[in-house]
Amino acid sequence: MSEHAAPDIKPADHPAFQLPASLSALQTPLLFGGIVALLGGLLIGMFVSYMQPDMPRFGMSAYLTAFLYVLTVVLGGLFFVMIQHLVRAGWSVVVRRIAEFLMLMVIPLAILFVPIILSLFFPNSLFAWTDPDFYTEHGISQSVADQKGYFLWEPFFAIRAVFYFFVWAILAMFFWRGSTEQDETGEVAATERMQAWAGPGIIAFALTLSFAAFDWGMSLAPMWFSTMFGVYMFAGGILGAHCAITLGTYLLQRNGAMKDEVTPEHYHDLGKYIFGFTFFWTYIAFSQYMLIWYGNIPEETEWFFYRQEGAFGTLSLALIFFHWLIPFLGTMPRHIRRNPHVMAFWAAYILVMHFVDIYWIVMPEARLLDGSMATFGGIFGVLASLLCVAGMSSLIVGLILKLAGDNRLVPVRDPRLGESLAFENI
Amino acid sequence: MSETKKTVHGIMAEFTSVDSLLSACRRIRDAGYTKTDAFTPFPVHGIDKALGIKPTKLPWIALVGGVSGTLIALTMQIWMNGIDYKYIISGKPYISLPAFMPVAFELTILLASFGAFFGMWALNGLPRFSNPMFTDPRFDRATDDRFFLYIDARDARYDSEGVRKLFADTGSEYINEVIEDDTPTKIPKPIFMVWGTMVAASVIPLLVVLTMRVTNSSQPRFHVFPDMDFSPAKDAQMSTSLFVDNRSMRPDVPGTVARGQMEESLDVLTGIDSEKLAQIDAPRADRLVRAYFFDDEVAKAEEVAEVTEAEGEAAAPSVMDTTPWVKEIPIKVDAALIEKGQQQFGIYCSVCHGLNGRGNGLVNQRAQSINSPTWVPPSNMHQDSLYSDKYPDGKLYSTITNGIRKMPGYAGQIKLRDRWAIVAYVRALQKSQNASIDLVPPSQKAAVEKAVADAKAELERQAAEAEKAEAERKAKEEKEKAEAAAKDAPAE
Repeated sequence: MSEHAAPDIKPADHPAFQLPASLSALQTPLLFGGIVALLGGLLIGMFVSYMQPDMPRFGMSAYLTAFLYVLTVVLGGLFFVMIQHLVRAGWSVVVRRIAEFLMLMVIPLAILFVPIILSLFFPNSLFAWTDPDFYTEHGISQSVADQKGYFLWEPFFAIRAVFYFFVWAILAMFFWRGSTEQDETGEVAATERMQAWAGPGIIAFALTLSFAAFDWGMSLAPMWFSTMFGVYMFAGGILGAHCAITLGTYLLQRNGAMKDEVTPEHYHDLGKYIFGFTFFWTYIAFSQYMLIWYGNIPEETEWFFYRQEGAFGTLSLALIFFHWLIPFLGTMPRHIRRNPHVMAFWAAYILVMHFVDIYWIVMPEARLLDGSMATFGGIFGVLASLLCVAGMSSLIVGLILKLAGDNRLVPVRDPRLGESLAFENI
Repeated sequence: MSETKKTVHGIMAEFTSVDSLLSACRRIRDAGYTKTDAFTPFPVHGIDKALGIKPTKLPWIALVGGVSGTLIALTMQIWMNGIDYKYIISGKPYISLPAFMPVAFELTILLASFGAFFGMWALNGLPRFSNPMFTDPRFDRATDDRFFLYIDARDARYDSEGVRKLFADTGSEYINEVIEDDTPTKIPKPIFMVWGTMVAASVIPLLVVLTMRVTNSSQPRFHVFPDMDFSPAKDAQMSTSLFVDNRSMRPDVPGTVARGQMEESLDVLTGIDSEKLAQIDAPRADRLVRAYFFDDEVAKAEEVAEVTEAEGEAAAPSVMDTTPWVKEIPIKVDAALIEKGQQQFGIYCSVCHGLNGRGNGLVNQRAQSINSPTWVPPSNMHQDSLYSDKYPDGKLYSTITNGIRKMPGYAGQIKLRDRWAIVAYVRALQKSQNASIDLVPPSQKAAVEKAVADAKAELERQAAEAEKAEAERKAKEEKEKAEAAAKDAPAE
């Protein structure tokens, strides 16, 4: 707003906008390490499934956990970009490119989805409903099975998945090209074009994300349903995306990039988002829980039942304290949100908790659906889950670094860049 | 300006740009002034820092508000629903945290917002209707295109000349003293009139209500809430088209138990030792549970039919004999219970079985006197086969409950505990007719023995009398015979 003391906009080819060498050196190790860890995790997971015949879905579930973890954060990045355009936000321009790197990762993730499509050919290797005997074994009447069968039908499932990725890739490409081409041309029309499409884009995003969450998360328990589930996955994802942006910005600054561009003011705003969405996640999670708990209908409570017993009961309690209470209180004071170092810590912490959340959603369904209790799958099971997520994350971070090395770290000719540089909260 | 001496509140200076204002702010901050203020047409970022304003305490007030909201909501709900007025809602525990969360959440938000809103008022000294700054007409431009800086006279470093000099140094072109606002403080009359009228008008509804309460009227009642006065709710016994059976008064959902009514165990309900039964005949035990705990009418009818009909069949072991009946009354037996049993026995049983239980009640006497062809005489309770060693308490209870032969079941008339009370009384009655003298307390033994001896003597006397009377009658008969013979003889 006020132009006083605004730092000058640096030329587009200033080294502050280039990926620091110390980070670009990490590309190859991350890419290869990621692939090795991912394959290793998947193999160990399959081994656990092989050794414990009552958990035939464990291996692919570990993979799906890692996939959904990265995907929700990446889609959160897509949402961040669209919402900033939609509301013509000025403050966020300096950190928007990091969200744009994130959102473009839906394209490699579409390729990483192939194993999940393949699992459809092996009944009961990931989704219980792929087992032709599922309905008869669980005493579900034929009419219900027929109704469910329209939606949970492998070809339709695959077509939907292709459609979701198509929509996301189109959106990501559109906003990516608009932003990077503006780096060269500086045309204001690109911003206006992106702003015009942000609204329809968000509607398409909301619908596809909800249905993707139903398909890939909720259908793990084929007879369970919750209309809140899509929002729940979104809440965790957008929270993770804000954390990823904060952490990414912090790491770039530590390595010497965009030192003058991003100030505590931007961390403060990202921190407000993290603080707010920490509670938003809790609000959604509790809304989903309370209605099911109060209604107390067996077909709905089943899902929480398996998450309240045994080891997963402890994990559920841990989520309340470590995913909500501690980060909520931790990011509450203003001086903490204005401190980049502390905010980077909280961002990393919440990213870890987001994985626990996704793990809590997916893994209990890896058990045999005969009333047996969910487990972590022993030492090898935990190792498989951790290797999968570490591998998938490294792979994606490696790809982001590759992308970042070929592009500028800030939309250097964005018409609102000056406003963002001069941004002040108080 | 008038010549009279007026209170000086401080000095203000006018600036034309944000930058000149901010640099002036830094100057006076560095000069050590603390009671300062700035007035701008729009929010200026960084002015807090430039003026050296300390971070606000407002977040703490909001936090305290929020935490008290949470605590008040939780305490209120735990006290109301868990302690003071225990009430089961939706089958949840009295104190169930998830159900309390929405209220706790809302109250947290409400009080945190109140804390922030009214805390801001308090910290800013609001509401404040006038400010001495307004005395200067130039200050009006603070809402348009001018920026003002103000140093209060109460500042420890305040010195009129020094402040003027400092402002002049910062490049301000207009510096003026802020003097007491001498506009009239009297509130204009029309405001009072409007206010007074409104207060007077607000009393009217109250007066109308009061008038109506103390006067009579032949007019129909005035209905403020017609839909509440003429509720569409149905009364008992009314019909409705809403349900297939047309009953508006809905029967209880199967398994419904009124509060405090389900304290008895299956053994008390049925008179059957359910644990033993489960080992012998699991399907029947299961049926009993369905019948008595879940009010399954079909199961109940089956059970009653089996118990009542079995007696009539001569076929191999009847269910009455194979059922593991409860051996002893499963509830506490005391004098009060037996008295209750005596009263209930007198009301329901004695009409047939007789007050003494010998099976010769009024109904029986009448049936015998009219030679009723369908009458089955009631049992005499004082027979071996009905004593507790052969006829366990549970079986007796079951007979009272479900009936036997011609006797109907009394479950509908006699309360559960009263049926057990009757069992207790019948046992006492049986004992009273078949007791050994050793059971009598020693203090009364002599009296009883005397009574027995008296009774015996009386019986003997009666027997002797009867013998005597018999002998007399026989003698008389003989005599009559002899006389008759004597009469007949001469006639021959």
